[in-house]
Amino acid sequence: MAHSPDYDTIIVGGGFFGCCLAVHLKQALGRRVVVLEMESELLRRASYVNQARVHNGYHYPRSLLTALRCRVNFPRFVEDYSDCIVKDFDKYYAIGTTFSKVTASQYLRFFERVGSPLGPAPKEVKRLFNADLIEDVFAATEYVFDAVKLAQIMRHRLAEAGVEIRFSTEAQKVHRVEGSLLEVTCAAPDGACTVTAPSVLNCTYSRLNQLLVASGLPKLYLKYELTECAFIEPPDELKHLGITVMCGPFFSIMPFPPLGLHNMTHVRYTPHCEWWDKADGSYRDPYEYCRVARKKSNQICMIKDIARYLPCMSKCRYVDSIWDIKVVLPKSEVDDSRPVLYRSDCGLPNLTCLMGGKIDNIYDIIEHEDASYAQGTA
Amino acid sequence: MMARSDCFVSVTAPLYNDGDIVEAYIEDVLGVLKREYANYELVLVDDGSTDDTVERVTALLEKLECIRLIRLSRRFGQETAVSAGLDTVIGDFVVVMIPDRDPPELIPRIVEQCRKGLGIVFGIRRHRRDEPLFLRIGARAFYWYLNRILKVNLPRNSTDFRVFSRQALNAMIRIKDRLRYLRAFCAYVGYGNESFTYDLAHRREKPRVKGLGEAMRTGARMIVANSTHPLRMVSVLGLTMSFVSLLHIGYVILVYLFDKDVVPGWATRSMHSSVMFLFMFLILSTLCEYVGRLLGEVKDRPLYYVLEERNSTVLLADEDRKNVVTETTED
Repeated sequence: MAHSPDYDTIIVGGGFFGCCLAVHLKQALGRRVVVLEMESELLRRASYVNQARVHNGYHYPRSLLTALRCRVNFPRFVEDYSDCIVKDFDKYYAIGTTFSKVTASQYLRFFERVGSPLGPAPKEVKRLFNADLIEDVFAATEYVFDAVKLAQIMRHRLAEAGVEIRFSTEAQKVHRVEGSLLEVTCAAPDGACTVTAPSVLNCTYSRLNQLLVASGLPKLYLKYELTECAFIEPPDELKHLGITVMCGPFFSIMPFPPLGLHNMTHVRYTPHCEWWDKADGSYRDPYEYCRVARKKSNQICMIKDIARYLPCMSKCRYVDSIWDIKVVLPKSEVDDSRPVLYRSDCGLPNLTCLMGGKIDNIYDIIEHEDASYAQGTA
Repeated sequence: MMARSDCFVSVTAPLYNDGDIVEAYIEDVLGVLKREYANYELVLVDDGSTDDTVERVTALLEKLECIRLIRLSRRFGQETAVSAGLDTVIGDFVVVMIPDRDPPELIPRIVEQCRKGLGIVFGIRRHRRDEPLFLRIGARAFYWYLNRILKVNLPRNSTDFRVFSRQALNAMIRIKDRLRYLRAFCAYVGYGNESFTYDLAHRREKPRVKGLGEAMRTGARMIVANSTHPLRMVSVLGLTMSFVSLLHIGYVILVYLFDKDVVPGWATRSMHSSVMFLFMFLILSTLCEYVGRLLGEVKDRPLYYVLEERNSTVLLADEDRKNVVTETTED
């Protein structure tokens, strides 16, 4: 009894990475692709609940590779998704004095080496900072993206490419049927259904292990953090600025275009708690935890601490917070690097798990995907 | 029950080999803070402990909220550890306390006193009966000298247990002197400096007591850092001795001119030299202190280095929905 597959590739998760890969596989490689998304829209979780920063490397003064990759990917991303890129603000990076892991001169020298331009900040911007706590301030080139517009772009591109999307469809299990065929069992609005394909891409970010665990497959070793993204109406002085203080227990205030507000995150107060998936032992569904976790905002702590560095921030108005689960690969805890996870054959042949911490990681993933595809067909 | 106050209170405490008491201390402080304040934090600064202090605090970070542990890269001394804590606290009111002897139950009262006052409230211990006699006599002499002679207004028996308003703290942390002495800084910045009297509540049966040597070193540094009085005293002394010496020279000349049979006076000569040398070295030693101090201040190196910062990470579900947390196992 020969069973012909429904698709060539099933993509689990309609976040930014899942969508991009779907378009790429369809357009560049002509594969029949379906995207399974549990929400009723694209890009609703990690792609949205995040700083909308398009990294240009400035965030990683202690990892040359990450900083370099960011600088290479930055112009590509800005060009490829220009409709959702917001540039109408000035971006400054400030270096803290006492608790910083880098000094201002190291920071400057590092980005000279990386090739990312840093300029001096104008006097009126420097004056906003408490000179006792901030060593120096630099002007940087960095933009943000509008996640809602990006979702529209992706929806449009998926439609253009003719990729099928199934909304409100949660991929629950994957198992091997005959030969090398994989079958994904889904919960959809109209009941359970199955789809089959020779390969499955798991792009569910914090929920990577959910699919693996439910399918009885070995887990990946990941660390989770419950994170709070706070939204504020900044004081007038900061309306057209984006500010990040490096490199330690500091903070970032960036425009968040979908809401017309600023997004406030703090290294110390944005993560509320953390846990690890151990190779053995119990497993906790991150989405479920995010749903039931007690969400007592740390916004007061954030504002109090930030106002020490930027006194005008005591005038900001807190609006709301959004919460989600962040995933950290154990490696990047040690050194500040942000590697991309690309693991093929996760317990089953052609079941691939991939994950990246930054939106521009997509280029690294696509290059890797092409390479492994070429290897597979060779 | 009184409504919980909405001001943000930070408590900071230095730790050094406090593994035996740190858990009880943290629980006591958090008990008080949780009861009284809607927003609070406890910032513990580990001053390079060599026992299990860090492990014990780290274990509590997973159970208790609003704790931060700052680890210094080595031992810098209690005063510097307190400074490190003060540099990072975020509260509107900041309490400094020494874990093994300051009672957490007093926090609400003294924070309230600070709120009503001008910015600094400090503790005065009721008695020093728990200290050995030499320290008590030494302390008395020290405070007398400091207050009467040096005019450094340091209240007798004041302790490190104190509260700052944000404004007073911001003034304080701008003092970048190498030699940290919190009590003197407080006296210098002003902001009211109200006091409260309390009994130390020792957590150890045998409280740790400073040795005589350490106490004297601290005293000497403290005096040198805060006053040029000793320097002026020795310059006055130097001038006086030069004058005496001048008189002596005059006397020698007169004797030489008018007395025909001068007997070589070895006794006088050696007496003279030794007296002069005595004072010269006295003067030199005092100068050394100041030169050393200047050198310390001129070196522009950081006061302390932070090894790492650890924060509370408590997994908490909404109490009414606690039962829905799914915990599936792999098999």
